[in-house]
Amino acid sequence: MADAQRSCWIDEHDGQVVLHLGGAWRLSGLSELSRQLCGPGAPLQAVASHAVPTAVDGSQLTAIDTAAALLLLDTLAEAGGDPQALTLRHFDARHERIVEVVRGRFAGTAVQRRRRPLPLLGQLGKATADLGALLLGHVEFFGRTLFELAQVAVRPTRLRVHELFAQLGQVGVNAIPVVALVTFLIGVVMAYMLGLQAEKYGANIFVVDGVALGMTREFSPLIVATIMAGRSGAAFTAQLGTMKLTEEIDAIRTLGLSAPQVLVVPRVLALVLTLPLLVFVGNVAGLAGAMLMSDLTLDITPATFMERLHVALAPRHYLIGLGKSPVFALFIAIIGCRMGLSVSRDTRSIGINTTSTVVQGIVAVILLDAIFAVIFQELNL
Amino acid sequence: MSPTVEAERPPAAADAVIDVRGVVTRFGTQTVHDGLDLQVRRGELVALIGGSGSGKSVLLREILGLQRPDAGTVRLLGTDMWNAPEAELAATRRRFGMMFQEGALFSSLDVAGNVATPLREHTDTPAHLLPRLVNLRLTLAGLSAEVGAKMPAQLSGGMKKRAALARALALEPEVLFLDEPTSGLDPITARAFDQLLAFLNRDLGLTVLMVTHDLDTLLSIAQRIVVLGGGKVLADGTAAEVMAVQDPWIESYFASRRTVPHAADPGREAQADGA
Repeated sequence: MADAQRSCWIDEHDGQVVLHLGGAWRLSGLSELSRQLCGPGAPLQAVASHAVPTAVDGSQLTAIDTAAALLLLDTLAEAGGDPQALTLRHFDARHERIVEVVRGRFAGTAVQRRRRPLPLLGQLGKATADLGALLLGHVEFFGRTLFELAQVAVRPTRLRVHELFAQLGQVGVNAIPVVALVTFLIGVVMAYMLGLQAEKYGANIFVVDGVALGMTREFSPLIVATIMAGRSGAAFTAQLGTMKLTEEIDAIRTLGLSAPQVLVVPRVLALVLTLPLLVFVGNVAGLAGAMLMSDLTLDITPATFMERLHVALAPRHYLIGLGKSPVFALFIAIIGCRMGLSVSRDTRSIGINTTSTVVQGIVAVILLDAIFAVIFQELNL
Repeated sequence: MSPTVEAERPPAAADAVIDVRGVVTRFGTQTVHDGLDLQVRRGELVALIGGSGSGKSVLLREILGLQRPDAGTVRLLGTDMWNAPEAELAATRRRFGMMFQEGALFSSLDVAGNVATPLREHTDTPAHLLPRLVNLRLTLAGLSAEVGAKMPAQLSGGMKKRAALARALALEPEVLFLDEPTSGLDPITARAFDQLLAFLNRDLGLTVLMVTHDLDTLLSIAQRIVVLGGGKVLADGTAAEVMAVQDPWIESYFASRRTVPHAADPGREAQADGA
């Protein structure tokens, strides 16, 4: 390679070791420069045995930027030289200024050691403590929300009717299509699967018993609540979290209003009021799906299906299913609102909290359902 | 027609880093830019001012290639930002830096991670040098290296802007764009930021184009002020030249400062320095 293309070489003047720079020293060629400067066979390697350059000659330099200047000083410092004592020779004024800028800040660029991540046991402990703090916060928020609800009950004029109706529309009416579709399909699948078993014993008609009981008492409440945990719980967190970031919630507070009353109460009420209605939609759609499937594959006409439904489905199953849903709704809404209000100062935490809301909401619904199952078992219902 | 002071501008300066010609921008029926021309030469520090809705930020976004103008051409570092092939655009994007008004730091990364992102993506900086280079960027933006470990949410407004500047400086840009660099900063921090920009312009040779409303910035460090109004460039020149233009908006704009009693005029000192 020709001399003109070398970016660095070393010689000695008057007993001083001088590093000569040539060509363009730029960020885009940094790794190549690094290789030429201190790689195998590089000038610094060859000279390291006796002396580190104490002067740099920039007469052949065509360009230098701060990154390349940093590389130069860092490499010399690594080799045992003192960047501050380095003499710059024959530099173009602009190039020299850039090297001086970097030299002036060189000490400030020293790399601190990063904090080491917690050991495994420490992480486990921290996760446990965080979970405890989260649940404790939920309990407190739950209490506060119940208090606000009680205040609204005592003085109904405090209720934000407009906000409540807006939420009823978003949470309830807009959710009907997805709830109906999903429960209809579940009804179809249930009737089909039960039908496969029942047919073997010629007990086709008992499919109606199975679907009616399973759908109204367990599946519809559980599935609709799960959908709402994903749909409305996440929406509450994202809405309130964004409002928190844009300081809307602080504005509400400084205007002398109560953020829980303006934001949380309408949302909680809306979900508690609509979830039973959506479960009803789910029941109807699920039974309709089962009815269709029974007619097509099991020779049970809709008339027969309805007749059997009256016999097989005791009202208490239906009412237990409906009765569980406001409790699910209360938990979903409270988790959603609290996670929204506990968003910290950055956008990332909206994403984290929204994810957390959906997970917590679904876990809470299933956990509550299990508790209900045990209670009703004990009560022989 | 308002009189302007753009009399003897060279027709097509060869060293124009930013070259905007005949740009027209409409939002529905509202015309924001109506055949607007603007040239910025290498090494200049130019401030763009204008009333609300005069399209300063929109012009900035059009130069950066973020928003397409309805007509006209925008050349940045010789690249036609709206007709060049993607490969050329990608190469050009590495040659300028942009500091957004609110910083636009990536909230999932710490400050060092924010600054390191462009370096990791676009350069082959040796791994041992990367943390040091990140720290150099932070110190160039006036932050200490310890700030690198903080998350953007932990920073004050002024530090956020500096961190954003450090990220904009990561790839050794030739041109630096800033949207309201001193808005929301206290006067002391804002003046320090001005000096930082003047230093980058003077010592590192960066061409700077900023949208600003800060009169102190205009009078102390801007070498050239471009006033937008009525879809065109209303005035273009040094602070003294722009202030001499007979235009109601420009007059009331600068009058808002003259009403401050005993206000020292840093513009004069800066001019004396620059001479």
